[in-house]
Amino acid sequence: MENNGFQKQAREIYQFISEHLYFNRPDMEIKGERFNSAILLSLLTALRKGKELIIGEPGLGKTTSAEYVCSLVYQFPLGVIWGSEVSGHPEQTEEKIIGRPDLGKLNRGEEDVVWTNFSQMPAKIVDEINRLPETKQSMILDGVDRGNWEYLNEMIINDEYCLFATANYQDGGTNTIIAPLVDRFDVMVESRYPGANLSFLIGKDKRKDHVLRHPKYEKDLYQILKSKTPYEKKIPKMEEICNAYGQHIEELLGVKSFQRQDRDQIRAEMETLEIDLDASAFSRMLLAELSFCERYGQKRVVENCEEGCHYTGYLCHQIKNCASNRLPSSIKQYAQGLAWLLQDPEIDIEHMMAVVPYTVAHRIQWKDEILSQKERSKRDDPFPIFLAKEAVKAVSQRYREQSDHLKDALAVGSRIFQGEDLEPLEGDHPLYVEVKKDLDARKN
Amino acid sequence: MKSPAPPKRSAFLPPAKESWGTRNPFEEFKTFTTPTSNFPLDQIVQSTEAVMDRIRSGYEKLLEEEAKELVWMVQYNTIIKAYEVAEKYVKEIDYTAEDIEDFCFALENTQKIPYLIPGPAGVYISALCNYAKEEEIALKLSELKTEINLIGFRLSKGKRLLIEGDTGDFTGIGLEGGELIVEGNAKNWTGAGMRGGKILVRKNIGLHTGEWMMGGEIYVGGRVRGLGNIVEGKVYERDKLVYPGKARYPNLYY
Repeated sequence: MENNGFQKQAREIYQFISEHLYFNRPDMEIKGERFNSAILLSLLTALRKGKELIIGEPGLGKTTSAEYVCSLVYQFPLGVIWGSEVSGHPEQTEEKIIGRPDLGKLNRGEEDVVWTNFSQMPAKIVDEINRLPETKQSMILDGVDRGNWEYLNEMIINDEYCLFATANYQDGGTNTIIAPLVDRFDVMVESRYPGANLSFLIGKDKRKDHVLRHPKYEKDLYQILKSKTPYEKKIPKMEEICNAYGQHIEELLGVKSFQRQDRDQIRAEMETLEIDLDASAFSRMLLAELSFCERYGQKRVVENCEEGCHYTGYLCHQIKNCASNRLPSSIKQYAQGLAWLLQDPEIDIEHMMAVVPYTVAHRIQWKDEILSQKERSKRDDPFPIFLAKEAVKAVSQRYREQSDHLKDALAVGSRIFQGEDLEPLEGDHPLYVEVKKDLDARKN
Repeated sequence: MKSPAPPKRSAFLPPAKESWGTRNPFEEFKTFTTPTSNFPLDQIVQSTEAVMDRIRSGYEKLLEEEAKELVWMVQYNTIIKAYEVAEKYVKEIDYTAEDIEDFCFALENTQKIPYLIPGPAGVYISALCNYAKEEEIALKLSELKTEINLIGFRLSKGKRLLIEGDTGDFTGIGLEGGELIVEGNAKNWTGAGMRGGKILVRKNIGLHTGEWMMGGEIYVGGRVRGLGNIVEGKVYERDKLVYPGKARYPNLYY
């Protein structure tokens, strides 16, 4: 891997946020290093162009953690980030989120769209997304998924964007986030209570976020955002100001942020990282357990497990829904990011195991009996993340027991696929059945 | 006339129809072969056996070289010479405290070691203990039928040797500041010529205890059968100082 100091730079941003802006305890360990999941995953989200759902109690730094990361990774002054946030509330409209007609032109009989700051900015934050009614959540589905924002007959496409959405736990004013929107988030993380002592320090200190403010650059950026210049031409202009702001931050705080070409270079480096065989076999095993049904061909939320099924010991028996195709892509994306950050030459099973709980926690719908069985278990994590971590532990235990046989089965599968006259290997796991299904499909 | 070039296929177009659906989903595993089953336990057993072979071979060479000189009673020069030979072999082996214990057990329980001679065995075990990486070594000798002589010879400062069971004659002689604990009994000449350190015998101790002892302390939990000619140092019997103290006569019951 190229050693151009970007990893060090990313770690310095992590360090600066955790030491000066967002106080919290480390809650995850990877290869002997401890990290705070909220900052680490937010940093990876910003670098990987990902989508992150941050949950937590009110006032525990969900939005601010995302704001700090966006400001330092994308070089936007905090004031601009605040001015482009969308807040979820029942009266929210498409005009406030995406764009509105240019009223002056409309009076002249012309149609033109004035795009919102939110739709134009590469770092997007939706605050309290679950206060948006279900019907209005679908307004942002496409934008969240592909970065294309449509209004009237016009469209802008964000080449580079990441999205952070915060959600409070269920209360009187919240709604459920619709399944298609939930699935579009790559990861879910909790912004946790930092503990009484750190919380006391936060309360004692003055607001620190002013260090990331810069009224002049904020004003300049607003001017560009609201100008009538075509969107594509605004981007380079914004980048110029962002670079100047980045320079200012480096001089003031000693933290070097990333320019657009740096971020592109980082992404290119991340893309070169391959998944090693164990990590690949482990992910296949997990995906098989999250999608397999012997009776009905695959998991479907509308179908229930058959009595006396052979596969009751696997995750498929504990969940209601099927893993989506976005899941493996989220896993790979974040595992690549983590491997890059740790300067590892490829993605191994430890990177996988570290990110998987956060990529599946919001996507799995557990059966009611599992929820009631485990509801009162002793834990530090929110219930969905705790269940996901338990699931990952169970799958990794199964993987350790049969990793060689499983890799053998996949290797034999490959040889059969290439035309060798062999029999697929048998084994007690849904993945062996899946291998056979793929080979049968090939034969037919 | 130039024939028209075939139209170039755009990189963005899907592959030719005949290759659709032929992507091998297991491609990355095509070169995977299961490594020959080398279970960690097998590797541990193999490496332990290799170390044991080297320790055993050192002992056999010591026996061969010193066979003529094996008049093991108080001829201190013989002991020093044997120790130097033992040192030579032991220095070349990479072993752990557990290997020393295995060797002690193997002395009586395997056909691979031709004979257990308490003197050379003790010198060799002492050399192993003195050159071990560990500072604290525990040896279980309680299951041996033979009591090994010379255990703890020249045990150096900073080392702690714990013996479970009884020891033979010359236990802890020439002790050089280490701590030797015998959980059972020790026979005659214990601590002879020791220069410093501590010997603790939980049960009884034999005659000539501390003969020509130059320093250090001997603690005995049971009875001291007889003291030697002690030059300097202390001997305690059941927490009571017996040397120096009231007039003592070597090798006499008191």
